Amino acid sequence: MTTPLVAMENVTVRFKGAQTVHAVNGVSLTLEPGKVLGILGESGSGKSVTLKTLLRLLPESRTEIGGKVMVDGKDVLALGPQELSDYRGAVTSMIFQDPALALDPVYTVGEQIAEAIVRHEKLSAKQAMARALELLELVRIPSPERRLKAYPHEMSGGMRQRAMIALALAARPKLLLADEPTTALDATVQIQILLLLRQLQRDLGMGVIFVTHDIGVAVEVSDRLAVMYAGQIVETGTVRELLRDPRHPYTRGLLAANLHGAKKGERLEAIPGAPPPLNEAPSSCSFAPRCKQAQDICRANLPPAVALGEGRLVRCVQAEAALQPA
Amino acid sequence: MSLSLHAEDGLDRGGAGTPLLEARTLTKHFPLGRGAVVRAVDGVDFTVMKGETLGVVGESGCGKSTTARVVMQLIPQDEGQMLFDGEAVGSSALSLKDYRRQAQMVFQDSFASLNPRLTIEDSIAFGPMVHGVPKSGAILRARDLLARVGLDPARFAARYPHELSGGQRQRVNIARALALGPRLVILDEAVSALDKSVEAQVLNLLMDLREEFGLTYIFISHDLNVVRFISDRVMVMYLGEVVEIGPVEELYDDPRHPYTKALLSAMPSMDPDNRTMEAPLAGDPPNPINPPEGCRFHPRCPQAQTICSKAKPALTPVGAGQRLAACHMEIPGSGHSRAPALEDAA
Amino acid sequence: MSAVTSPAAMPAVPQPVRSPGYWSGVFRRFRKDKVAVGAGIVVLLIILMAVFADYVAPADPTRSSMLRRLRPIGTPGYPLGADELGRDMLSRLIHGARLSLFMGVVPVFIAFGFGSLIGVAAGFFGGKFNTITMRTVDIFYAFPSVLLAIALSGALGAGVFNSLLSLTIVFIPPIARIAESVTTQVRSMDYVEAARASGAGSGTIIRVHVLGNVLGPIFVYATSLISVSMILASGLSFLGLGTKPPTPEWGLMLNTLRTAIYVQPWVAALPGVAIFITSISFNLLSDGLRSAMDVKG
Repeated sequence: MTTPLVAMENVTVRFKGAQTVHAVNGVSLTLEPGKVLGILGESGSGKSVTLKTLLRLLPESRTEIGGKVMVDGKDVLALGPQELSDYRGAVTSMIFQDPALALDPVYTVGEQIAEAIVRHEKLSAKQAMARALELLELVRIPSPERRLKAYPHEMSGGMRQRAMIALALAARPKLLLADEPTTALDATVQIQILLLLRQLQRDLGMGVIFVTHDIGVAVEVSDRLAVMYAGQIVETGTVRELLRDPRHPYTRGLLAANLHGAKKGERLEAIPGAPPPLNEAPSSCSFAPRCKQAQDICRANLPPAVALGEGRLVRCVQAEAALQPA
Repeated sequence: MSLSLHAEDGLDRGGAGTPLLEARTLTKHFPLGRGAVVRAVDGVDFTVMKGETLGVVGESGCGKSTTARVVMQLIPQDEGQMLFDGEAVGSSALSLKDYRRQAQMVFQDSFASLNPRLTIEDSIAFGPMVHGVPKSGAILRARDLLARVGLDPARFAARYPHELSGGQRQRVNIARALALGPRLVILDEAVSALDKSVEAQVLNLLMDLREEFGLTYIFISHDLNVVRFISDRVMVMYLGEVVEIGPVEELYDDPRHPYTKALLSAMPSMDPDNRTMEAPLAGDPPNPINPPEGCRFHPRCPQAQTICSKAKPALTPVGAGQRLAACHMEIPGSGHSRAPALEDAA
Repeated sequence: MSAVTSPAAMPAVPQPVRSPGYWSGVFRRFRKDKVAVGAGIVVLLIILMAVFADYVAPADPTRSSMLRRLRPIGTPGYPLGADELGRDMLSRLIHGARLSLFMGVVPVFIAFGFGSLIGVAAGFFGGKFNTITMRTVDIFYAFPSVLLAIALSGALGAGVFNSLLSLTIVFIPPIARIAESVTTQVRSMDYVEAARASGAGSGTIIRVHVLGNVLGPIFVYATSLISVSMILASGLSFLGLGTKPPTPEWGLMLNTLRTAIYVQPWVAALPGVAIFITSISFNLLSDGLRSAMDVKG
């Protein structure tokens, strides 16, 4: 077995402030090199926070991170300032939902990509610019020579997203983190970006962690899926396993809510209620208050993480029970 | 005792099965200065029948939100006319104020659409009070509506919007829209900002209300799954124009306009063994400033021919006849090589 | 109205639990801000001092004595010394607070009314009305406020009423501009659209939906102008365009003590210190108010 590219062990993230927020409560996950993991969850599920932990992007002064985060053999939580800046970009880089936050409006796209290249490699300005051009060709921006000299605001939404991907790939990272990169895009543009990411991942052999709230998007790009709820991973498995045989009641509810194949005019099997507040660490199943199959034990203890096979975990007491109609 | 939202006084003129709203060549242009004009809505025709739900889909810049605002008369149209139950909106027979009692709107941003300084019940009671209902009656009615949309009045009526979750706020907005007893409700991306599990709850609510109060919906969304689920008919818009309109299942199963086809095949497949392999369209949707001549979709259309850049295709009946599409490939004798031949006039 | 069932037919709904309103939330947050609370207490003390000046002041502020001119701070009977005419400084400062506060608060208060009216109307109705109104306001805004106040007071002539008038005119443009920009923001909110969609007229929308959301921020901005107004009023008095002697007023006192700056620098600086403390307290108070109100909802 190969050493995993990413190994998170029992990671907890707490935000301190007027009220403590338990954003991530014991997340363990692994990612093999060259694979794509989709993290699926709704707002407040802790999916983006988990992703940012991998790059140490959370404000250090207000954040308490526990557990262990290993990426490419490095202990990410123990990196010093210099090591951290070498790590960011070169080992792991990130793309965001809003390219306007990732791209600097006062520099041309070419200058920004070249700068990211020079930060990690000893290259002349001319060589770096040539590499930047290659990268724009790689992300299939039409007429790349012209776009190299363009400012972000001169590009359309889909084009900016491509430019941001080129910027993220500048230092040939081994791990690409994607935080809802297609959520703000129109449908016909979204599928273009998803296909591009899938191809780049394959061609460059990168590991990718793709965070999204949209099951359809996750299915298009991922090999494996992890479903998050209230700061915990409630179910993991391959895309096929999760889609064909979802075991956690929350996963089943999410699949039903996607409306793919829902019968017209019939009432939807909606999950009642809303996610719990995260002001204290969970001591019982966080989903129990919304779960139709909840029993007394669900409200008393944390549910066990039931292993149903290699890389298939379900955090539910009924994980092994035969699939009942939800 | 159920809420009698509808007047028993014969507001329904034409009877069931007649159009509730007819929009005729609605046009709204926004001049930008220096000759540039945003043709946000350009000659849009459609009909909404009583009791049906018309879904409206399209990408950014297609004019679906502007259409909603014109239908709601929040912005006046430059050209065109609207008939509501047979009466021209704004005419002496149907004043704007009377029309607004019968047509209401729910917006996407549940927070921005509630006044942060008013309690929930005051927000809901505002509309009826504008129309002359005394405060005490309006408040009682607001609490009743809250209960109807699934929010316990004892807990929520006197709260402020920021104390509620997004899903709860959107329920309040729906209650507010219903407070005047409307017949037409326009839902402009009303469930788009909600989490999926909450979205399903609100969709259930919308279906229940539709049945209970005999409402007619115009449901605007970018989510094609949701539109398919809730609509009876669908209207597809591109750059300010209607490109295809018709019964939902027919249109989803056999789209005729190349843009409708592209939009549908851009939907994620939800099947790991059968992923999407090719993007149906390249590039971004163009913006509606000075749109192309002829068919507005021709620069991105894989089947475009000379005629497409020259003449604007009119909406033409296709399929079983309930459907209209604006494509030269569907117009007999249009000059497109795939167009059906002209039938001899018998 | 037939579209609504009569209240009698409604099922009984239990009286809902009142939720703490917006202003009680503001007050709760404000109370936590120690600096702002401190500034508020200082402002309150100064106001009380001014109101009860007749009882608080140890001596008559206008009784002069040629023998006790320019006594230093700490002289028995003259805790803060005596001025160039031998009048008790403490008493003069206490009595001076009346006019100084008056000149700080009243012009701003009047300008708050007129400025809000102009700004809210321009912001809400927009279009040509907005352009014409706001460009007119901008003409006044283009002059530095000190210069405008001096020019107006100079033209109108010296005196309390005229400085009041000129200060009011000076403060209308900035308040109108803030009011206009806040109103423009609120006007584009969906809840205003929704109100319009339910058939409400402009007057009702402004009263119910706009004023409640804009007056707070405009008021906070206005309170930050109180210190400016006090300083400008003192400046006008200092230049001889405001209060006439022997009425105690901090700006005027600063002017008349100017010649004594080498003889009794500490005494001469006292009115300045009073202006400084008062204006900074008003500013801190308004800062605190702003951050207490600056929370969504």
